[in-house]
Amino acid sequence: MPSCSPTRNPFTAEETPAVAVSFEGLSKSFGDHVVLKDITFNVEPGEIFVLMGPSGSGKSVLLKHIVGLEAPTSGRVLLDGHDAADEEVRAQIRIGLVFQAGALFNSLTVYDNLALYLREHRLSTEPKIREKVMHALKILSLENTAAKFPSELSGGMKKRVAIARALVMEPQLLLYDEPTSELDPVMSATISEIIAALKDEYHVTSIVVSHDRDLARSIADRVGILMDGKLMHLGPPSTLQNPSDPRLKDFLNPKIDLKNPRFKKLET
Amino acid sequence: MKQLTAILEGIGSTLQLLARSAAHVGTLPRQRARFIEQCYLIGYTTLPIVAILSFFIGSVLALQAGYSMQNFGAKQFIGSLVGLSLARELGPVMVAILVAGRVGSAIAAELASMKVYQEVDALETMNIPPARILVLPRLAAILFMMPVLAIIADLVGWFGGALVSNYVNFIGIDSEAYFAALRRYMHFKDVMNGLIKAEIFGFVVVLVCCNIGLNTRGGPREIGASVTRAVVTSLILILVLDYFVTKALL
Amino acid sequence: MNNAQQTARVGLFFLLGLALTWVTWETLSGGKLFREKGYNLIAGFDSIKEVKTGDEVRMAGVKIGSVETTRLAHGRAEAVLRIDTGIVVKSDATATIAMAGLIGTNYISIDLGSANAPALADNAEIRTRVTPDINTIMAELGNLGQKLEGALGSFGAAMNGDGKPGGGLFQKLDRLVTDNSEKINTTLTNLQEVSAKLNRGEGTLGKLINDPSLHDQLLATVGDIRTAASDAKTFMANASSIVDQVKSGKGPLGTLVYDDKAAADLKSTVANLKSVSDKLASGQGTLGKLINDDTMYNSAQATLKKADRALDGLGDSGPITAVGIVANSLF
Repeated sequence: MPSCSPTRNPFTAEETPAVAVSFEGLSKSFGDHVVLKDITFNVEPGEIFVLMGPSGSGKSVLLKHIVGLEAPTSGRVLLDGHDAADEEVRAQIRIGLVFQAGALFNSLTVYDNLALYLREHRLSTEPKIREKVMHALKILSLENTAAKFPSELSGGMKKRVAIARALVMEPQLLLYDEPTSELDPVMSATISEIIAALKDEYHVTSIVVSHDRDLARSIADRVGILMDGKLMHLGPPSTLQNPSDPRLKDFLNPKIDLKNPRFKKLET
Repeated sequence: MKQLTAILEGIGSTLQLLARSAAHVGTLPRQRARFIEQCYLIGYTTLPIVAILSFFIGSVLALQAGYSMQNFGAKQFIGSLVGLSLARELGPVMVAILVAGRVGSAIAAELASMKVYQEVDALETMNIPPARILVLPRLAAILFMMPVLAIIADLVGWFGGALVSNYVNFIGIDSEAYFAALRRYMHFKDVMNGLIKAEIFGFVVVLVCCNIGLNTRGGPREIGASVTRAVVTSLILILVLDYFVTKALL
Repeated sequence: MNNAQQTARVGLFFLLGLALTWVTWETLSGGKLFREKGYNLIAGFDSIKEVKTGDEVRMAGVKIGSVETTRLAHGRAEAVLRIDTGIVVKSDATATIAMAGLIGTNYISIDLGSANAPALADNAEIRTRVTPDINTIMAELGNLGQKLEGALGSFGAAMNGDGKPGGGLFQKLDRLVTDNSEKINTTLTNLQEVSAKLNRGEGTLGKLINDPSLHDQLLATVGDIRTAASDAKTFMANASSIVDQVKSGKGPLGTLVYDDKAAADLKSTVANLKSVSDKLASGQGTLGKLINDDTMYNSAQATLKKADRALDGLGDSGPITAVGIVANSLF
């Protein structure tokens, strides 16, 4: 069951109410290409919501709507009842987005990557910033990387730095875009543990876009499955065991069939 | 039609970027470190190539002028010719072209890769406008560095011309006569004219390259395409603007 | 590289730029750093025309300095001339703006002045004189054209009056005649008197006309003509005797007359003669004109003396010709 306790700030232990996200009839098309069709669902405050779906189903686009990187064609996204397209709203509700490839600033060291947000918004003095950045790095066991440049880090470390950078923003809402892609199984499990740990410790609402079934089954409070721009399934991970829809079944438990390979049936 | 729309879109987005950057001018003192860094990259590191090129342009100008003027005994005007052409035209245009090739391409490549690898998106999710920390310091830096590069180009070019006039046998104008001729028919106005031109060119080049970089869409392949487009657009703009700015300043 | 080092380099670089700009400014704008040695003279003009900063100042064609600056001051245009050290400009030397070519380049020309005049000091004012330049010449030409046009226009107006007070030339003439009719009458009377005098043979012309000797000569001539006529009578008598002979058919002439063919020939000859005389009478042909043209009368008078001489020599040239001439001249 989703937790309803307030989000706790990882640095000051100050508590703020967890943020709820709701999608109301969200549609998005790029030209003639329809990506999202009338999506409606809620993400409860403080829960981990895992959004699954095959590649190109519109998961990342949905995520971008929350942070205002994309504007809806119709419908809207609400953060605690306020329209996410409004810059004022996004300025008030702190949202951390962990990009698929990390999106770390290659020209800055890990330390400066983390400090950038604080410095640009003049949130605290340089000693306080240092304290905060090191704390965030410590949470993710990255203290030794502070002086390194992103290009010197492994894939898993980059993901962790990206999460740390999101954490520095003291987020009320954490968004993860494919956090475990391109990682080996052990590293994937590590990232899953981090997401769960952050949620347990700080009760931050988390939306994870992924097609990692293990991640969904082990840490998700609820799972949504997006296919061809439509929400096909919504429910706790236990409901994923025996899906009724054949397409869902195939997505969740693909059987490798050498005699009748799928790619022969794919439309061009 | 599609091309025309693309051009208009380019002009529009460039002006928007300018407006968005200008809105953050107040943050410039806080961005001192970034400004200094950009000054270093744009100005200091471009100096050697500017010096080498302008030296040889001045020399070649003197050589060609000496060759063509020896037939009608106007060799004593070499100083004026080299001085005026460098100060009014070749200095600013050459520096602008070098800046487009060396600085503009680097800016376009850096911003394009930041865009492609979602660093720009990351900035936006942090509520840090890219125009503020990526564009503004560069624009400010070019405004400060361009006149310095241009005046160095002028003086080094003049010096190159003086050396050639002095040591090439068939010219044989000593440096004193060369600089006397240069001083006779030149005013500081001419140099100022060139500096203003350089300033305009440099600013436009940086702004256009920032805009093209930030508007890159797609994968890593597009970074290269953006760099090419940025440099080509810059070169065209320099020469087109050159005409109109020269006319306006006459 | 650390930040401080980078900042230092950028700062140094920027200062270098500033310094170079300053040096350039000093050099080109005649700043104090590279100011040529010498002293200043001020030349005031109504217009300094094409002269600009840096133009040459020449004395008797030799370069002795340059125009330091040009400005408007004291209600005129002033050129400040930088004269090289060691060059003496006399106080009575005059500065003019001269053209080095038809287009463009001007320079300030200063003449030598007189040898014993004192020299001009720094910042002294030099005398100036305006010389026409190509523009003034062109402007003058333009003015001239305009004046010509104006003159032609007023001439036309003068002729026609154009309703102006006083009227046109013709009206004036008219009035002149009316106002002065008395005078004109007197003049005419005088003229009559003059002609009368002429008649009376007074004055050179009168004498020419009324010369008594000429009259005497004329009378003598007429006498001669009479004699000639009597001679002619004798001749005619002789001729009639010849005719008698001819009638009787004697001699070759008789045959000629009484031969039918010869008679016909003679008739046609007479007819020809008649037509010739007709033509003469009507003034056709050269001879006719000679006879009938009135102007010839005067010439004839002048020829009278010659005619006289001709009469003297009648024996040689035959009487008929001379008589014809005299007769025709008289009638």
